[in-house]
Amino acid sequence: MSADAISLTELETDALTEIVNIGVSRAASNLRKMVGAHVLLSIPAIEVVSQRRAARLISEREITQLVAIRQDFDGPFSGRALLIFPESNSLELVRAVTGGDLSPQEVLDIEEDTLAETGNVILNSCLATMANMLQRSLTMTIPEVLRGDGAKLFDVWEGSNSDGLVLFLYIDFAVRERDIRGYIAMLMDLPSLTALKTLLGEFIERIVGDDG
Amino acid sequence: MAEPPPVDPTAERLRAVLAAAGASGTWDWDIRGGRLYFDERFAELYGLNPADGHTGVRTGIFFSAIHSEDRARMKIAVAGIVGGAERFSKEFRVQSPDGTVRWMHGRGQGHLDEHDEPLRFTGLLIDVTERKRTEERLRIAQSAGGVGTFEYVDGFATATVSTEFCKLLGLHPTHALPVRTINGVVCDGHPPIIPDAEQHGVSGIEPLHGEFRILRRDDGSERWVARRGEIVRESETNGYRFIGVLYDVTAAKVAEARLQELNDTLEARVREEVVERQQAENALRQAQKMEAVGQLTGGIAHDFNNLLTIIIGNIDTVSRRLGAGGDPRARRSLENAQKGAERAASLTQRLLAFSRLQPLEPKPTDVARLLAGMSDLLTRSISEAISIQVRTPPDLWGIEVDPHQLENAILNLAVNARDAMPRGGALTIRADNITIKAAPSLPSYVVPGAYVEVAVTDTGIGMAPDTMAKVFDPFFTTKEVGKGTGLGLSMVYGFVKQSGGHVEIRSELGAGTTICIFLPRLAAGSEHTAEEPAITAELGRRSETILVVEDDDDVRVYTVEILQELGYRVIEAADGEAALRALNSGDTAIHLLLTDVVMPGMSGSELADRARVLRPGLKVLFTSGYTRDAIMRDGRLEPGLDLLPKPFTYVSLAAKVRALLDR
Repeated sequence: MSADAISLTELETDALTEIVNIGVSRAASNLRKMVGAHVLLSIPAIEVVSQRRAARLISEREITQLVAIRQDFDGPFSGRALLIFPESNSLELVRAVTGGDLSPQEVLDIEEDTLAETGNVILNSCLATMANMLQRSLTMTIPEVLRGDGAKLFDVWEGSNSDGLVLFLYIDFAVRERDIRGYIAMLMDLPSLTALKTLLGEFIERIVGDDG
Repeated sequence: MAEPPPVDPTAERLRAVLAAAGASGTWDWDIRGGRLYFDERFAELYGLNPADGHTGVRTGIFFSAIHSEDRARMKIAVAGIVGGAERFSKEFRVQSPDGTVRWMHGRGQGHLDEHDEPLRFTGLLIDVTERKRTEERLRIAQSAGGVGTFEYVDGFATATVSTEFCKLLGLHPTHALPVRTINGVVCDGHPPIIPDAEQHGVSGIEPLHGEFRILRRDDGSERWVARRGEIVRESETNGYRFIGVLYDVTAAKVAEARLQELNDTLEARVREEVVERQQAENALRQAQKMEAVGQLTGGIAHDFNNLLTIIIGNIDTVSRRLGAGGDPRARRSLENAQKGAERAASLTQRLLAFSRLQPLEPKPTDVARLLAGMSDLLTRSISEAISIQVRTPPDLWGIEVDPHQLENAILNLAVNARDAMPRGGALTIRADNITIKAAPSLPSYVVPGAYVEVAVTDTGIGMAPDTMAKVFDPFFTTKEVGKGTGLGLSMVYGFVKQSGGHVEIRSELGAGTTICIFLPRLAAGSEHTAEEPAITAELGRRSETILVVEDDDDVRVYTVEILQELGYRVIEAADGEAALRALNSGDTAIHLLLTDVVMPGMSGSELADRARVLRPGLKVLFTSGYTRDAIMRDGRLEPGLDLLPKPFTYVSLAAKVRALLDR
């Protein structure tokens, strides 16, 4: 199974980007309420790549260790969602979210919890919006914080033959004048991605209608 | 933003500002009310009534002027905003009523109420047609030219790159890459593509052009890329930007390397060529030397044979005159003189053989039979400490050679082999069929074709290379003074060359020697062996007249004496002119013309030709000590010609003359 086996059309990619954009807007709104400051989130691009490629891709772009918040989802399409930051950005995010009045030690102390909470808000919003917009429902597990390199996060190791597909989304954060970049990755197997593709087709049909 | 009426001065001012900023129109989409409001510029762009902008139109109008190819995409984007997304930033084409198509960048915002429900969607359109065209040109320039661009701002960990840039390095296409990732593709030992400013500063980048060997990230292939660029200094921050391009130069590098390699090996190839040439020159020099020595010895042999003919002839005559009752001491002296002269004659024969001037009488020859016939001779010549083995295959091809000379050559080689094995050993004589194919490595003196190879191998002391180079030189010998003439191998060489073959020698000090002679195969069908007629001294008759032509007086006198003694009637002439006069005189029948070949003025063969015009059917016998080319073709007697080699004896002259007359 490879990324070539299935790919999203341009319109499907656009549609999925917009859906996640809605979810990210919801997340930003939720974060605003949570931290009491202006939060801007945006999704600039989306790609479907193989698990291996995702690992390689992120290692090309991020040279530090990574930190990720992981949640599994189940429904008409199921898989695993990851919100990934370069580790150097993670404390920055914690500071941005908590207001920046904390001592370095305090930031460290609450880092894990804050990351889990922030990740939960963002991933939940995205997945819930996807379910909502595609008129289906999804269940999700509780968030979990992981650290490691691309290979570890994407479960890629030498000799592994499971090479699933990854929906790769770049996400830009702006909180309290701080710019933080991150990635949302959704690992799905081929049947799930096929199901998602069908649902996206229905969504496009509803929006664009018959006037092309 | 363009709000529904009333129009106030603030809104007018805002519109002016937006127009100056390049905005081509603004809109306000009331999501709950389902109405779209817009300003005058938007109306102008869309071909709408500006007044309707204030009262609002149905929201579907928003898509009416959007290019059909972009419409679906924009509907999805707007659906996102209507669904609750906040950011809108899209580029799309708008087709004005006059048909012109402009690229627009729509930047907008989704407004939510306190329950996060979408309320309004506002935004403005900016004409980006020019930028789009520039981008298009840049994109085509990059992809068509295989040129990737990058921009690195001093102090940043990432560089802005183009899609083509990523492709060149085998990286996943993106707009920004960590400098470390970019430099990570460079092979060890090469400088980084984008030097670390912290470490090197601007000077670390210079020279701005460079070539880098890289391993592409995706397929691991090794490529060469070239970097060219410029440094742009930021006056206010004292920093700089490094803007440049990258392109693949692998093909040029490979060609360069190939050229370099050619250049590097040039010397070796020239050296090789020179060695080859030297070898060829040495071979040529050797051949020329042999030729010169051959001509010299041939010339000497000619005079020598004439002298020997006189000596032998006169001893012969005295012996016969002396009769059986003569002084025994005088007789012994004469016999010794005769033996000495015969030895001198055989030496002259060898000189001629080497100089390839001896007349050969080639006959179809069966080498196997010839070798079998030699076994007795070989056993007698070779000591018992040496085992002799002769091997011939049953299907050995026939050859056309002078069998006596071949026998001589093989015996010569066998004797040399014997002398190389003073403490005994094994002598092998082997004959084989060999086909030599044309090949560039073939020495020039070897003609491709079918040969019978006769190899004489010993297990003796062998030869050093410098000895091997000289073995065919006449008078070269490794034997003690008096034991060898130094003419053996050179005779073999001359004979084989004259017979259209060649000789090979393989030897190593202490490991024996093999000498192979290659003789051309006889064309099929002409293989028959003629028996030698027996030589007997037969007398002549007075009725038989012989015209003797010889420029050497002593030889002529001797010849005439013998013939008269044999009972023939003899007419003598000192040169061709005199002979022709005799033939012309209408004298009685002349039965045989006996003429020397080499004479001043008219040669023997010329005389024979002219004599036959006068007297058709005239029998001709040539005598010569040195026939050169006068009556020979390719070293062989022309068919139908008869030759009596000098020095001849009473018996050999008698037999040859008789045989000819009786034919």
